[in-house]
Amino acid sequence: MAFVVPFLAFSAAVFLLPLLMIVGYSFSGEGFTFGHYEEFFASTLYPRVLWTTIEVSLATAALTLLLAYPVAYYLARQPPRRRALMALFLLLPFYTSILVKSFAFMVFLGYQGVANTTIRLAFGPEAGLEMMFNRFGVYVGLTHNYLPYMVFPILVSLLAQNPVLRRAAEIMGAGPWRIFWRITFPLSMPGILAGVLLTVILTLGQFITPALLGGRKDLMIANLVDFHIKESLDWGMASTIAVILMLIASTFMVLLARVRGGQVFGQERIAA
Amino acid sequence: MTGKGAKSAATVERSGWHSSNANTIAAWAVFLFLILPSLVVIPMSFGDSDEFVFPPQGLSTYLYEKYFFDDAWMETTRQSIVVAVLSTLTCLFFGVTAAYGLVRGTFPGKRLVTLFLLTPMFVPVIVIALGLYMYFATLGLSGTTFSIVVGHTLHGTPFVIVLCMAALRHVDPNLEAAARVMGAGRIHTLIKVTLPLLKPALVASALFAFLISFDEVVIAWFLTTIDTQTLPVKMYSSIQWEVSPVLAAVSTLLTFLAFVICVAGVLVQKEDTPETTQ
Repeated sequence: MAFVVPFLAFSAAVFLLPLLMIVGYSFSGEGFTFGHYEEFFASTLYPRVLWTTIEVSLATAALTLLLAYPVAYYLARQPPRRRALMALFLLLPFYTSILVKSFAFMVFLGYQGVANTTIRLAFGPEAGLEMMFNRFGVYVGLTHNYLPYMVFPILVSLLAQNPVLRRAAEIMGAGPWRIFWRITFPLSMPGILAGVLLTVILTLGQFITPALLGGRKDLMIANLVDFHIKESLDWGMASTIAVILMLIASTFMVLLARVRGGQVFGQERIAA
Repeated sequence: MTGKGAKSAATVERSGWHSSNANTIAAWAVFLFLILPSLVVIPMSFGDSDEFVFPPQGLSTYLYEKYFFDDAWMETTRQSIVVAVLSTLTCLFFGVTAAYGLVRGTFPGKRLVTLFLLTPMFVPVIVIALGLYMYFATLGLSGTTFSIVVGHTLHGTPFVIVLCMAALRHVDPNLEAAARVMGAGRIHTLIKVTLPLLKPALVASALFAFLISFDEVVIAWFLTTIDTQTLPVKMYSSIQWEVSPVLAAVSTLLTFLAFVICVAGVLVQKEDTPETTQ
């Protein structure tokens, strides 16, 4: 017990207290008041941004899952050594600063960027696509950022499956599609759920990607917290937004805790 | 995972995995997407002009010189190193002690305590940043290096706890019991017996904690002022104002750092579990 005390005390002082402070400020005003919450839900801006945030989070999770599953499946069928080597494709971006990734996509997707320059070389100087400062740019940045968080839990749940099940189904005459949809896919559900929930939770609070790759319409809830602290110096409103974000995120966290928690931390084993 | 018509390309391996060209192509397309930022940033960093030219014309180290001979970039880099080193040390202290207590200790409410200590991992970073910002402003410690180190310690320690808890479960408690029987105290046993056995996990934790702090931008963005800003904060504000090519050089250096730490982490853990077959 004694060994837990240092970090427990540290967390109480600089995690729990600041959280309580946020809750306190969200009800502040002239005495205790729900004023900030009323203002939040009565305005047109805040609910719209809240909706954008939820929409972007769910869509990012769906897109990431779509890209991650084939990768997880491909890695699962590699021999262990090659799999460890290929995991570097996921670990390198995982360990790379989000600023580096965002900057690279700004250079790549911008109107004068690498992609558009290539398009112009092929289709003439009039060609070009708007791929940045809009929703598309946000999805590219976010999907890229959360792919490793999706692939690893799915890979863990694929590797945990007993190969005998698939062999048995094959001997009984099931084709590859049938084996996949009746055995492999359902058994990988815990990994899928862990990856999806993790992506949703992390995207809900995202702040850098929408600020750099999104346009004005793609502002997310975290950008409003930033605005209220840096520009309008409104601690009460910033805290209210943070509380609402926390409530939504914790709904997904409760779900995540119900999915086998260990799945999320399976990364180290694959990397080894 | 191709259709039934593509039988020639699709086979079921002995392990029962279904291998198809479509799956291989999809996976490699995503791999390409994953390393795309490096493919963009690295060639660009060797460009020789202050304008973005694609494809880059000449090959030079001009942008690296601009970074290394600029006082503002150097000052923020130095600050990032200081913050990251201090945070790594505090993360290791808090992380190792907490992991030891959580794995070896028996006390009421252990599950709840474990959950509480790991919560900072799952709380949106923006919420942590806001809370610390208001907290330190109230205490009159706004913008101090101390406040950033505290923020990064809170952010990084749960990861160290997870890594060390996993490693501790593989350390035979009998080794510690033997030391205790021979008269070593608890702290002495921890330092002389447990920690040496945990070395690979400690190295991995240190690397990870360092990188988390060195790359962290949201907490630092809220807690720093112009005098204490870290490298990511300077990057973030300069990306917002003008996308300058010198950022490509900084990005390449950060990618290189990530690569070194990532490979080192993999090697260290490999050494940790030589019998690993998966």
